[in-house]
This record gives sequence, C-alpha cells and structure tokens, in this order.
Amino acid sequence: MATTCATVSPEAKKPNSITINGFRISTQKLPILKADPIEEMTRKLGIAPPEMIFGDNYVAIEHEKGNWGINFNAFDALDLVDKTGQSMLQVAYSAEWQKSREKTHEGIKEVVKPFDWSYSTDYKGTLLPNARPFEPTTKPIPIELLKRPDPILFFDEVILYEDELADNGITMLSCKIRVMPGRLLLLTRFFMRLDHVLIRLRDTRIYVEFATGEVIREYVSKECKYEKVRQMLAATRDDIPAFLRDPNRLSEILPLVEKRSERLVLGD
Amino acid sequence: MSDLDRAIEQLRGCRLIPESQVRELCYKARELLIEEGNVVSVDAPVTICGDIHGQFHDLMELFRVGGDVPDTNYLFMGDFVDRGFYSLESFLLLLCLKVRYPDRITLIRGNHESRQITTVYGFYDECIRKYGSANVWRYCCEVFDYLALGAIVLGASSVLEPTSSTALSSMPADSELETEVLNSRGDVTMSTYRPRQRSSSNASTDSRNISPPRDISAAPGQAAAPSRSGAPGTGASGDGNGSATTSRTGAVLCVHGGLSPLIDSVDKIRLIDRKQEVPHEGAMCDLLWSDPDEIEGWGLSPRGAGFLFGGDIVKQFNHLNGLSLVARAHQLVMEGYKEMFDGGIVTVWSAPNYCYRCGNVAAILELGEDASGGGTVARSNGEYGRSNGVVTDNRVISPGRRYRVFEAAAQDTRGMPAKKPVADYFL
Repeated sequence: MATTCATVSPEAKKPNSITINGFRISTQKLPILKADPIEEMTRKLGIAPPEMIFGDNYVAIEHEKGNWGINFNAFDALDLVDKTGQSMLQVAYSAEWQKSREKTHEGIKEVVKPFDWSYSTDYKGTLLPNARPFEPTTKPIPIELLKRPDPILFFDEVILYEDELADNGITMLSCKIRVMPGRLLLLTRFFMRLDHVLIRLRDTRIYVEFATGEVIREYVSKECKYEKVRQMLAATRDDIPAFLRDPNRLSEILPLVEKRSERLVLGD
Repeated sequence: MSDLDRAIEQLRGCRLIPESQVRELCYKARELLIEEGNVVSVDAPVTICGDIHGQFHDLMELFRVGGDVPDTNYLFMGDFVDRGFYSLESFLLLLCLKVRYPDRITLIRGNHESRQITTVYGFYDECIRKYGSANVWRYCCEVFDYLALGAIVLGASSVLEPTSSTALSSMPADSELETEVLNSRGDVTMSTYRPRQRSSSNASTDSRNISPPRDISAAPGQAAAPSRSGAPGTGASGDGNGSATTSRTGAVLCVHGGLSPLIDSVDKIRLIDRKQEVPHEGAMCDLLWSDPDEIEGWGLSPRGAGFLFGGDIVKQFNHLNGLSLVARAHQLVMEGYKEMFDGGIVTVWSAPNYCYRCGNVAAILELGEDASGGGTVARSNGEYGRSNGVVTDNRVISPGRRYRVFEAAAQDTRGMPAKKPVADYFL
C-alpha cells in the first residue's frame, strides 16, 4: 500500500537573517519532518529520531571573510547521542514493570535497538568545514555587557527536537539568539527531565563581539537526581511542578558537572 | 431546549459550564459508560479519530471536516486532555455529546485519561486555573475510569464509494477503490486501488464485467460458511441475530496504544477489570501504551517499560480474531495517519500543529457501511474455534479507508504562544 503521498504543503518560508559588521546571522523554522525524511534520518543516524523532529530548522552564524561559520542543527546534535545503549536511562517504574513481566513473559527480554532514548547530547555546534577551530580559554563571556539594555536588532527562538519520553518527562534541544549593535549571544540548550529519575541541562553559549571579531564558546553541563531537586524545593514555597518545568530556574540550583570555555579571534 | 443542549451550545462556543453542571454531567456519563463493555461494538459507518489533546479549536475544525454529531457517527480513541490549552472545553463537550447522543459517539480511554499523567501534563493545572479547585478534575478522573478500553467496528465496507464522479472515471479497469485521501476542502489528493476481489467461493461476478464497486461487493455474502456464525456470548456478535451472512471485510479493532502479549484474543480484553486508574503494567497498560515498530515479534522499549510489536504479531492477531485492521492513535505522525504492515495497522492522529508548534496536519479515518450484507454483520471476534483453520482460505479484506486530512484551525490566539517569539534579554 502506497500511502506516502503527502498532502500538506508547509509554508515555504525563507530563512530569517541579518547581516551586521561582517557577520551574517540566519535562522530557519519549518514544521516537523514527514515520514520519508524521518526514515532517511533514521537510516543515517542509526537510531529513531525524537518524536518531534525539526530536521529543517537551524541557526547559523557566518563571518563573511575568512570562511568561518558555526551552525546548530538537529541531525548533528542527534549524531552525538549514544547509540549503544551504554548510557541508557530507565523510566521510574521500570523495575516494577519488569518484575511483573518476569512471570508472564520469559521470552520477551530483548530491548529492541537500545540507545540513549533521552537524546542527551553534548552538541556544541557544527563548524564549517575548514573553519578555524576554537582554542581553550579561561576568559568568560562578559555577562555585564549582555545585561545592558542595548536594542535587540534580531531575535529568534528555534526548536531542533523535542520528545515527551513517552509521557515520562521531557527532552528538548532549542536555540535562542539575540543580536545587538555591538555583539550577539546564542544559547543552545539541551533540557531533559526524566520524572522521578534525573534532570539534565546542557548549555552552549556563543558570544560574538563584532568590533574585535572575538568569539567565545562556553559549554556548561549540570545535572541532578530528580528526588534531590524535589527535596531542595520542598523547603521553599515554590510551586514545585512549575519549577520542574522551567529550565531557567532549574539552572540556578542544579550542580555543575562540567564547564568548558573556548575562544578564537577572527581577523580580517 | 434542555440543559444538556444548552451546555453543548455553550461548550461549542468554548465557554465553560458551571461546576455543579459538570458534576451532574460526569455522574450521568458514568451511569452510561458503566453499561458499556471493555470493548464497545460499533457499526459502520463510523469516523475514527486519534489524539485531541485539548486543542479545542482544532476539534471544532475536525467536526467541520468530518460532519457534526449526531449526523456523523464518531469514535474517539482517547487522549482528549493534556498539552493543549482547552482540555476542559474539549473533554466536557465530547462528554456532553456522549450523554446526549450515546449511540452516535464512542469514547475510549487513552493513556492521558489518568490521574497521574494529568497532574504532570496540564489538565490538572487547567482545572485549578479555570475552576479554582480540584473538584472538576476529580469528577473527570472518575469518568476516565469508566471509559471503554477499545472498540470493534463491524460491517465496514471493503470498497469505498468514490467521493467524486471524476474519481470513478479515472479508476483502473478491474479494480476497486481501497483508500482515498482528502484535504480539508474535500478534494481528493490521493487514491489507491486494488484488483477487484472475488469471494473464495468464486461466486463473484464475471471480472470482465465492469460494474460499480457496490455491485461487486454484493457477491461475497454467499461465501460465508454457516459454521462461522457468532458464538453466543461473544460480545462482538452482539446483535445476536446469529446470521450466517458475513461481510468479507473483517472487523476493525480500535485501541489507543496497541496490542499486548497478554492479549491474544479480543475476548481477553473483555475480561479486564477496567474500572481503575491506568496501571503501570499488565494488559490494560499495554493496550493504552504500546507501539508498533519495524521489528519481529515482541520487543521491550529501550525506555525499560512498555512493549513494541512487529508486523508478524499484528498479522497473527488480526487473523486469529477475524480482524482486517487495527486502528490506534498515541503517536504523532506528520501526515495525520500512517499505515504499517501492509495496512494491518494504522495510526490516526487528530491534533494538527501539535502543541501549537509542530506544524503537522491531522487526519480522521472514515469507514463506510457495507451495503451488501443487508444489515449488520454478524462476524464475531475472538470466538472459539475461529483459530482452527476454518477461516484460513477465506482471507479477510481490509475495509475501504477514507482519510480526511485537516490543518490547524485559524483561531483566536488568546492564550496561545506567540507566533513570533518575543525578544528577551536571556543570558
């Protein structure tokens, strides 16, 4: 039965973009992938993509001179997900579930195609081929400059993928970018909450100072057991479910796992 | 105009009804649902719908595309609530329609019709926000416990009546219309045909004789062996006429999630004690949670809980139960519907632009009535003896399937996430 003939025609949207001080910033937002592209992606990745896969979406920063650029897209992010099942998590009621199965279904013990279905990724962006690489640095992103209420010339928020973890929480990779007259900030955030098990947050920030051509990339990984977070919140008067849905607030209390800063200066 | 009709009108306008009325409605709904079996029998024609998830305006669009209750006979496969912003309006309207027209709308349970899930994914919060207390949430959850677990559609036609005359003229010779896909304006965007079927007794009309599909489907009635009349006591043969007449189209099982390794016959679903919160394991859990996958046999989901089932499982289950199709919901599909395993199972998804950001289309599945059998079909399911080879040579044919695809409603955007993101000074 051939039922591949699609009926929807997604609005063919041109990417949004802005060019400023020799940098071109662009984003693209389209609907989730259809069946055929999903199949193709599954084949190339070797794992089933998340339920909501925005495979055509991206955020890109390119320097007009010097062939330098970095972009963020779903495929490359998913390619870094563990495909072996070594770092596989289990849902909260898994033990209970499997125990009840021991008696009735001896035969069914095989986990089909094991992989990290939380789609955890430490993706820090895709550099253009032959682009100059980053070098380690201790220099932080100048937060004070970013706190100034400079006019925002360009802003966008782009989801790359999302999965409801079969109603056991949420996993999501999304990007936010804002461009001011003198600088830009891009935040790509991986947020995963597996209810009653684990909360994980991995932020990649790209900071560009237009005048100097300085680019700083900062990667911060935080995570904590779900119950521990709940305990921390129990003492407060916060609305706990709302708190657990808000990565910004969670970010303030989750313990740090890893932090890495890199930098490069683009010349003329 | 009765209170109920007034409530329906009010809810259609996306306005809530008072808490006291909700309590009364839920009480009446429970009285009604308690009489339904775990597997409800539904006669074709019927329109089968997947997840709604509180997308009220899209539910209205669904009714616009598929026809209104009671003109159209509907079967909703669960997940009425959570995620969207109007779970209350959506579920209460469906419930009102159920109480008002019990024979024209069937509601079965999805995994979101559960206390635990609704506290996490929005419905509970929505009840608190809109009614100021958890009372309405509690009334609704009590109704959830009484919802049927599945439905069997009987008497579906194997051939589709073409939507337009042009479709008829473009039909290949010696073939019949099997599936048709329509957009929300009613234009046919795709059709598939299959070679015209003959009944196993070969009593069919001469295949060179080009006749409208309806005439062709008239033949197979005679092909039925009298031994296959419905066994007494099986709910699926509930019309009780015990007629030897059978449709060549098998019945269609509708469940929210999928099959269970604990369930090898439809009758086993009937034995479940369903009036409870959705358990974390067991047959009831599987029916609401499992997913088909391109595997062989049964598999465990990598998540550590939940089953996946392959095409061989579906084929065997359908064969043993005289089914031609399993219709299920539960998984987002960009095209609104997705057939798998040679059309043995279909996923129907009825929430367009899911979560107001996925940009997907939605679909509903229409099954037509078999005009040949002269009434209700007495094909039973899961009946004793069905599996011992009696039916093997008499292949069941899948029903003609019309998918109506629709997009998200142009709606009033109050409370919706802004289309253009609002710039903020994130750090």
